[in-house]
Amino acid sequence: MKPEELKDNLAELLGPRLLAVEPFAGMAGRVRFERTAALELFRHVREVLGYRHLSMVGGIDWVDHREVFYVAWSDERKEYVLLSTDVPADDPHLESAAPVWTAAVWHEREAFELVGILFDHHPDLRRLLTPEGYAFHPLLRSFKLHEPEDLEVKTRNV
Amino acid sequence: MGPVSTPVVTPRPPPAPTGPELPMASQPAVPFLEIETLRAREFLPAAKEALSAMVQEQAQGKLIRPVFNWAGRNSLFPLHWGLACCAIEFAAAFGARWDAERFGVLPRSSPRQSDLLIVNGTVTWKVAHKLITLYEQMPEPKWVIAMGNCATGGGPFRTAYSVVPGVNKLVPVDVYIAGCPPRPEALLDGILTLETLIRERGE
Repeated sequence: MKPEELKDNLAELLGPRLLAVEPFAGMAGRVRFERTAALELFRHVREVLGYRHLSMVGGIDWVDHREVFYVAWSDERKEYVLLSTDVPADDPHLESAAPVWTAAVWHEREAFELVGILFDHHPDLRRLLTPEGYAFHPLLRSFKLHEPEDLEVKTRNV
Repeated sequence: MGPVSTPVVTPRPPPAPTGPELPMASQPAVPFLEIETLRAREFLPAAKEALSAMVQEQAQGKLIRPVFNWAGRNSLFPLHWGLACCAIEFAAAFGARWDAERFGVLPRSSPRQSDLLIVNGTVTWKVAHKLITLYEQMPEPKWVIAMGNCATGGGPFRTAYSVVPGVNKLVPVDVYIAGCPPRPEALLDGILTLETLIRERGE
């Protein structure tokens, strides 16, 4: 699927909430959308366009805002599509993709613990790789490397 | 002529006075049941004294602790537990080439059957409380070997946000083995060092 074709398809559905569709790294395209359209877009991409396999979910801290992206794979088309949206840093909420792709549960837990994205209506938004009660989102740029003893004390006091 | 030594005659000590006659000899025989009771009264305190002496010696470890020490240090059973790449060297040490079993070292699959915890890899904060649980499940006496730089002091990940900087912050460590990862010979050397340590401590 060409990026222009994808853009026409999604513009009907989302209207102005679709910001852009750019060619990206051999994928079908990099879809930029408003975060209010998240669940609607996920459902359309999986059920109508046939991207049934969620490959990865990631978060990026751009200091003034944070970006969340989803990469999905279609077995019929043999290609990926990348869905990307921005959330403000002081209000990092996004609707969870777990009702659409079950694989999103663990991926979103990881994005939550490392970059601090808060996924609404997530069935089980706990930390995945760091212990319960860990006080940091370590892939944020505001996270400074601590002396090991500092980290230990702060981790245990939580 | 020199002085003639005259033998000194010392008087023999008087014969020891015989004790008072036993009551049994002079007194008429007592009923059978009463004899049994008397014997029991004499026997029980003596037996109690002898037994408590043995128990005290055992409590101080004088009786069979050396035997257990000898047997224990020659049959260290580590927990079969791998954390990271050091676990590959750990596995190689028990293979045919290095064959750690000739030193009586045999990995066991349950912490309740093992007395040696070899921490072979990077310990993260996520796995820290599981490591403490495994250590506490092991019966006494028990020992810990920190294998490799990560378990010793965090290694190259010392300042990372998720890594415990040294497993000695969680459990007491007896022997540290340097290396990244240490070769199986180094692990065997560490185990033999631990055997020496156990012999010297006499635990």
